[in-house]
Amino acid sequence: MRSMRAVDWSSDWSGKSSGKTTFTRRQLRLVQGISLWLAVILFFVLQSVAAQASERGADEPGAGELRMTTPNGQFETATLLRTDYRVRVSGLLADTRLRQDFQNTSTDWREGTYVFPLPEKASLYAMQLRIGERVIVGEIKTRGDARKTYEKAKTEGKQAAHVEQQRPNLFTTRVANIPPGETVTVELRYQQAVDYQSGEFELRLPTTMTPRYMPGTPIDDPERPVTWRQGWAVPTTEVADADAISPFTVNSQDVPAGSHRAHVELTLNAGLPIANVVSPTHALKPEWQGEQVTVVPQSGDIAMDRDLVVRWTPKRGQAPAAAVFHERWQDEDYLLTLLVPGLNGGQSVPREMIFVMDTSGSMAGESIRQARSALLAGLDTLKSGDRFNIIEFNSETHALFGQAQPADTAYLNQARQYARGLQANGGTEMAPALDRALRIRKSSDEASTKRVRQVVFITDGAVGNERALYQQIQDQLGHSRLFTVGIGSAPNMYFMREAARIGRGTFTSVSDINEVASQLGTLFSKMAAPVLVDIQTHWPDDEAAGEAFPAKPGDLFRGEPLIMVTRGIAPAGDLELTGVLPDGSSWQQSLPLSGAAPGQGLHRYWARQKIDEITDQRLHGVSEDQIREQVTPLALAHSLTTPYTSFVAVDKTPVRPVGESLKKDAVPSLLPAGSSQKMIRYPQTATPSLALIVIGLAGLMPAFAVLMLRRRRVA
Amino acid sequence: MRLLLTLTLAAALTLLAGLWIPLKAMLSQELLNMAWAESQAGHRDVKPWPWADTWPVGRLRLPGSGEPMVILSGTYGESLAFGPGHVTASATPGEPGTVIVAGHRDTHFRVLQTIHTGDRVELQGSDGDWRLYTVVSERVVDSRKERLDVRPDSPDRLILVTCYPFDALNPNGPLRYVVEAEAAQPQMQAAL
Repeated sequence: MRSMRAVDWSSDWSGKSSGKTTFTRRQLRLVQGISLWLAVILFFVLQSVAAQASERGADEPGAGELRMTTPNGQFETATLLRTDYRVRVSGLLADTRLRQDFQNTSTDWREGTYVFPLPEKASLYAMQLRIGERVIVGEIKTRGDARKTYEKAKTEGKQAAHVEQQRPNLFTTRVANIPPGETVTVELRYQQAVDYQSGEFELRLPTTMTPRYMPGTPIDDPERPVTWRQGWAVPTTEVADADAISPFTVNSQDVPAGSHRAHVELTLNAGLPIANVVSPTHALKPEWQGEQVTVVPQSGDIAMDRDLVVRWTPKRGQAPAAAVFHERWQDEDYLLTLLVPGLNGGQSVPREMIFVMDTSGSMAGESIRQARSALLAGLDTLKSGDRFNIIEFNSETHALFGQAQPADTAYLNQARQYARGLQANGGTEMAPALDRALRIRKSSDEASTKRVRQVVFITDGAVGNERALYQQIQDQLGHSRLFTVGIGSAPNMYFMREAARIGRGTFTSVSDINEVASQLGTLFSKMAAPVLVDIQTHWPDDEAAGEAFPAKPGDLFRGEPLIMVTRGIAPAGDLELTGVLPDGSSWQQSLPLSGAAPGQGLHRYWARQKIDEITDQRLHGVSEDQIREQVTPLALAHSLTTPYTSFVAVDKTPVRPVGESLKKDAVPSLLPAGSSQKMIRYPQTATPSLALIVIGLAGLMPAFAVLMLRRRRVA
Repeated sequence: MRLLLTLTLAAALTLLAGLWIPLKAMLSQELLNMAWAESQAGHRDVKPWPWADTWPVGRLRLPGSGEPMVILSGTYGESLAFGPGHVTASATPGEPGTVIVAGHRDTHFRVLQTIHTGDRVELQGSDGDWRLYTVVSERVVDSRKERLDVRPDSPDRLILVTCYPFDALNPNGPLRYVVEAEAAQPQMQAAL
């Protein structure tokens, strides 16, 4: 580029020395002007590139580094937090008492705020505030009332606690007026269902949430309107550096010793002999006392930087095939039933597998690469006798075969080649693809009725016409099963979940695109073994069956239990279940309800299912107000924390003297171990426009130069 | 001579491609405004053109640019070419929480370099209401060292992101220019 500039200058020079007619001279001047202009542009461009390079090299402190430690390396917060989890598992439900100790180590009055995760399906149902010996029992109120009560108590100097649900798995505890040097305890109780799959139980205890870092709030800004939301990430006044930003999560070494440690103790009372207790996340120390097992982590208290997962298996041959629990609560009967269909393993059915792949532009990059390899893995699960097809869609829909073809070597090879060649570009038009996948041609009707027809719908996209699509799925589904797979943080996970429910399949969410291949692999191997389809339930008292959840059970795969909860059915008579086996024969099993074991918290489990069902109506256009009207009385009756109801506990007498001020302190969460990669990256926000213009202009220069030389020669 | 001709042609095409990008950015805003008006009228998401992989989610009015810009859903290259993109994981325009919008420094968000603390920025959500934000800071961040937080319970603010420096050649540079604006009135009650 420099040499080209040299050419410009020389031609400029020689141009001046030679005499010309005015006409060519003017032209020449124009060309000269353009060349000069180009040269100037190039100069600036080179300069800015150089500037950028030097910026990258420099270690500028102002470039927004995370600073959350004080010079002595300690994260200074005046409120310490200790957490104590006591989990009791009885039957299928786990009941947890969660204690949060807020210790004020400063000489000021403090308000502590702590955001904490609970399992997604957990129901928080009780709260207590403990101050020394005194216990104040929290009341469930509507969200607005609870907040008003708390704010009032806070300004009056009374000690108070408040717990609110932010998201299904995210809650906030606030404690007002913690006296200097004292500790108050908030005790919460929540309940969750235990996972049971292939003879193994699993319980997950989340202790911290996915870390996020927000370009933050500069401190010491008296102009800033103070709302509690701003403070809770970190006590900004405690951060030394004025340019520092308010971090939300901190490393475990940056909190004072003793803070953010959780004591965990699990009591497993499964009602059957337990063979072993393991954890993929922590080393555990189980102790047997008869059928009851007490489990604590080997290291004692655990750092709250990763979820604790505990799995246990019953003794060989003791894996439950059925269970019934009963609870009577406020003159209503609640039943919780579990049934694992007793079927011979190894039974497999011929399938018709339709892979539907989103190849729209947003899938470009890692997503499509992962989806391709997942598709290849899916093809490998096909057995001879199966049929399959691949449909890709973006703005248009294209199918590999006109109709599903047998999974023989020739067709499979063709499919593999097709899968490897899938490229991502264009828009996301789902309806035609769904139509193509669900529509069964008349000619193949006979062949496909004997097969289990499974449609796997892999997409990261969003749709605008949800309701039309639900309708379409409902109308066209027939014997097919729709399995939806959502990739990335697409805004329409809700649609995917609901589509799978209507499609009577499952929904798989793959939030980390690096896990697409592995998660889909699990799904495909599960789908390869369908055991029981078309399940119908008949309760002894059929009239009340409307209050049973799930209302319409989906297919059961090998090892999967059918778990149902009902209200209003007495523990008498038999629950009749019918279904269709892989070979087309019918299956029937009855479960005597009279043998029900006593259970606890069943009504809360039922209420939670009911609330979920009401909330789901949002998808069908029911307004937010109507949902709130239905959920609120239910949540108040069963005392559950929901988006519309919260707990509040207020002490009777004020403790903080009127003259003293209250400082806010937000207790940070620990950064989950090894998950710093999960935060959201800054998007790419520049186009190659300028670069293209510069390259284009530079490329035109020789032409100008030649043009100029010719003019001179002509002159 | 032939070499020169080829070079000239290639250079001209490159130049055109370079100029096409800002032109496309300008033209698409017209189509987007139409789609936005339609989605406002029908209370649903309307795609600006049939093959689009995105749709308008709100509008943004910055000081120094007369017409409000239509914000699209998503921040991948395809949507940013047409308008500023809403980071889908952040709060939706019109709802409480932190809304994050990113735009190209050489097209829609070029104007960010003229924005200063105290300026007013307006954001329109799907409900049609304009919310007022006041700029509280402008910073340069290194995207290799910092990430964006999209936690659900974040304060009511608007974060505008574009690439930095504004006149750099390299479209894949690590620096970002971040303008942070706070809701003019605390929207705490809106969370109820």
